[in-house]
Amino acid sequence: MKLAHLADLHLGFRQYYRLTPNGVNQREADVAQAFGRAIDDLVQVEPDLILLAGDLFHSVRPTNAAILHAFNQLRRLRVELPGAEIIIVAGNHDTPRSVETGSILRLFEALGGIHVVATAITELVFDHLDLSVVCVPHAALMAGQSGISLPGLNRCKRILVTHGEIAGALSRESSNLEYGGALVEPGDLQVDSWDYVALGHYHVASKVATNAWYCGALEYVSTNPWGELLDEAREGRRGRKGWLLVQLEEELQVEFRPVPLARNLVDLEPIQGDGLGAADLDRVIAERVASVPDGIADNIVRQVVFDVPRPIARDMDQQQIREFKAKALHYNLDIRRPPTERTVGIGAPGRRQTLSELVSDYLSRRVLTAEVDRKELMSLAAEYMNEVEQDLLEE
Amino acid sequence: MIRFEDRRLIGRVVATEAMPAGPHQFQFWTATDTTIGIGAIVRVDDERGRTVYAVVIDGKAYSDLATPLHDVVAAEGDPAGTAAPTRRTEVRLWTAAVLRQQPEEPVQPVSLAGVMLATREDVEIALRMDAYVRANRSSGLPIGLYTGGGMSAPVYLDSDFLLGPESAHLNISGVSGLATKTSAVEFFLTSIFQKFPAHKGTIAAVCVNVKGPDLCFLDQPGELTAADLEMYTQLEVEPRPFESVHYYAPFKADGVNLNTLRSHPDLIETVEPLVWGLREVLDYHEVLLSRDDIDAKSDAFIDFLADRVVEKEFSDEWGTTHRVRTFSDLERLFRSIFEGLEAQGRSDMWRTHHVATIRKVRNRLLNISTRCKGLVTDDGTVSDLPFGEFEDRAVYVLDVAGMDQLAQDLVFTRVVSQLREQLERRDLGVDHVVVFVDELNKYAPGDGPDTYVRKMLLDISERGRYLGLVLFGAQQFRSQVHRRVVGNAGTTIYGRMDLDELATPGYQVLSPATKIKLATLPKGELMVRHPHFTQPVFVAFPRPPVLAGPAGIQRFPPAKDVAFEEAVVAHLTALDGRIIPGKVKEIIVGHRSDDIRRALLATKRARPDDVVAFFRASLGSPVSRERVERASGSVAKLKSVEDPYAP
Repeated sequence: MKLAHLADLHLGFRQYYRLTPNGVNQREADVAQAFGRAIDDLVQVEPDLILLAGDLFHSVRPTNAAILHAFNQLRRLRVELPGAEIIIVAGNHDTPRSVETGSILRLFEALGGIHVVATAITELVFDHLDLSVVCVPHAALMAGQSGISLPGLNRCKRILVTHGEIAGALSRESSNLEYGGALVEPGDLQVDSWDYVALGHYHVASKVATNAWYCGALEYVSTNPWGELLDEAREGRRGRKGWLLVQLEEELQVEFRPVPLARNLVDLEPIQGDGLGAADLDRVIAERVASVPDGIADNIVRQVVFDVPRPIARDMDQQQIREFKAKALHYNLDIRRPPTERTVGIGAPGRRQTLSELVSDYLSRRVLTAEVDRKELMSLAAEYMNEVEQDLLEE
Repeated sequence: MIRFEDRRLIGRVVATEAMPAGPHQFQFWTATDTTIGIGAIVRVDDERGRTVYAVVIDGKAYSDLATPLHDVVAAEGDPAGTAAPTRRTEVRLWTAAVLRQQPEEPVQPVSLAGVMLATREDVEIALRMDAYVRANRSSGLPIGLYTGGGMSAPVYLDSDFLLGPESAHLNISGVSGLATKTSAVEFFLTSIFQKFPAHKGTIAAVCVNVKGPDLCFLDQPGELTAADLEMYTQLEVEPRPFESVHYYAPFKADGVNLNTLRSHPDLIETVEPLVWGLREVLDYHEVLLSRDDIDAKSDAFIDFLADRVVEKEFSDEWGTTHRVRTFSDLERLFRSIFEGLEAQGRSDMWRTHHVATIRKVRNRLLNISTRCKGLVTDDGTVSDLPFGEFEDRAVYVLDVAGMDQLAQDLVFTRVVSQLREQLERRDLGVDHVVVFVDELNKYAPGDGPDTYVRKMLLDISERGRYLGLVLFGAQQFRSQVHRRVVGNAGTTIYGRMDLDELATPGYQVLSPATKIKLATLPKGELMVRHPHFTQPVFVAFPRPPVLAGPAGIQRFPPAKDVAFEEAVVAHLTALDGRIIPGKVKEIIVGHRSDDIRRALLATKRARPDDVVAFFRASLGSPVSRERVERASGSVAKLKSVEDPYAP
């Protein structure tokens, strides 16, 4: 039996300010396109069961466009794969805080063959597939229903679908990244009792146990996509998003099916700015941008520059930066200040410095642009201070 | 007890041409006021140093009257008339069967010498017990006290011949209603557990309680008289109940009240549920399905299911994959086959099996979970004996008294088969297992159909001694049990017997006097045959140190069946008395009874420190169940499809 495992579609997700010609947020359109491409692939693969393990929408009240798109794509799936069963489990993003808000997900049940589990733990029994699917939505996890009762009637296959963070499965950074999810103790899920555990919430495809997987999101839809890139690199799938095709045979087989992304995320090699002037930095940054094989046009690009003092940053070539930003969908020049060094006096204070000495000391440390000669500057400053002192004495 | 120095002659061996003394049997006379009787052991020493030990098997008394008419004439025809003028000479003549001669060779007729009562030491030698009781490492198991002539002596069985490997098995016969058979086995097990030498290995017992409360209180002390305690002292057995007893009973049809008479609140916690699923049952389908009913075609289909379907990935021709683990799964497979064939509409055959055969097998198999409800579950939950972890000197009681005969057969067959398989592999946890089965004539009858149960019992009887699997069988009529089963029992015990039974060919070796004694044997006495004993020996045994069934029922009246919720509470509070019933009820609200039963079983098996927490975790959250029909392909057409994200 073939099973498609998708999660975290986050339809309606918006990011950055670029709009499509029709005035739609470009990233929202990208996310919608990824879903459409995943549906294309699903139609090719023809799974018997399709699991959407939470966060179909990015918000409890998605935009009309997002709703319409989801409806269209799910309808297409139903038309193309009439025998496939589709299960949608609500995640933290599509679970309302209050009951009276209701869930938009119910809408899709009207298409037939789509089963929505939004609030309580529900076992869906598919006799014709000899399959039992226990769905644990986010609301049930948050209500403290962490322990999952095993299905009474043992089917040929038993699948658990849930949306939450498995304690210990995510790194600390990733856990912070995917905020808002329910924390589930692995023991509560009794992972060994299931043929497959389909997990949602973590946006990077990763294996929790031999039979338990996060399938990841279809697009970069978190607040920090750069962190996702790092996690993907650890999983050996940097820059790739997709869904999981699971073969529930004697031996479980899980295949990652990548979905072509609308644009690349380019995290340029960080620059160490210590000792570099504004012009140097402008030059290195331009080199980094030029090093992108296909250019940065329409991509999402980040350039981190470390240890750049504020005056240097202020003097950088803002025109060039604006050009990069115009070319890319999003160009993020992330300039990090050098760490502040604080000195603490210890013991009895010594002789108080004169004003001239204070100025001299300050100028010996002040960050200067490359064109300014420090010695000349200090000599000029000492000369001015002497003149002022002389004037005061004469008065 | 007679000490050696008190020994005195009680008779003399006589031999005439008509009644010569032989090497195996002889006669002797005694005074008329002698204390000996049938079953007494005597000793004959001749002047040549030969000693003969014998047991009295018959006795006669007569006078010098030529004919009875002479006595009638002497009394003038009136029995109440004048007494005879002189007292007639009267003789007591006894027939004794030789138990042993010393020296053993050459075997010679018994000398015409004085006859003495046997002492305690004589009894040991006469019954050849000296070889295993006096050895450096004694392997004698006390079975009772021989009493004769005011003397009593312990009688021991050789453990090598009772529990293997030399010989094995014990069979006990006796009329029902005297509680002799069950009491005797309880006492024997006590004796075995206390006296079976450690160097011979470890031992456990599995008792199948097939009727009433007989074996329900083996861990409770029984009432013993002073005479019983004196016997225990002589036998050097401590009168204490079994220290480690594990009870197993199936549920009643409600699935939560245990089907046992040991249901008193103080005892129920020690009863483990016995619950099996499809796998446990299917391997023994021959037990459950009548051979007259299941023909070769059905048999072939059942084998197909067992080999190719159960607990394997199996795809039918209509695209559905099955992994049958439970009766429910099996039902689904059958439904799938029937629906598929119906949709196909052109064939009555499925994988060379006719649909009628499939229907028949379906009906028979699925009926098992109905007929054995409480023991066999639909959902695959299993609670079984701790195969592989049997404890030394522990008794495992399977209380199937309240079950259908079919279910009793299933329990007995599967448990014994499992024991046999694990003993063969040496991974049961103990080296020897005694299996006690009452009503053996039901399981291994001498006539009637050749059932799977009987075949298995025959196999145990013939091969068990090599494996350490020892059958202690009891029945009312030995003649009704299969000859190979009783014939392979190395040790045979007889309680009071029915005269009709004694008239059957199996008892021809016994003298008429022995038969009469057997027919009138008082409670607490038995006749024992053992490979070391050349003649049967009568022994007395004390009451077992455990509470008898009827007394147990009075002291621990069975609890009444309670409603589902209350039963769950009772089971859990039995594990931990501090549990608040209301809390348990609160936890189970909204859960399906199947899930509650499963969690309860898991909790009882695990016996955790925090019972409520474990039960709650096992139960998990309530899961509502929706049965989903096959998705249909019809999706309503839309007039237009607008793509909100179109470029």
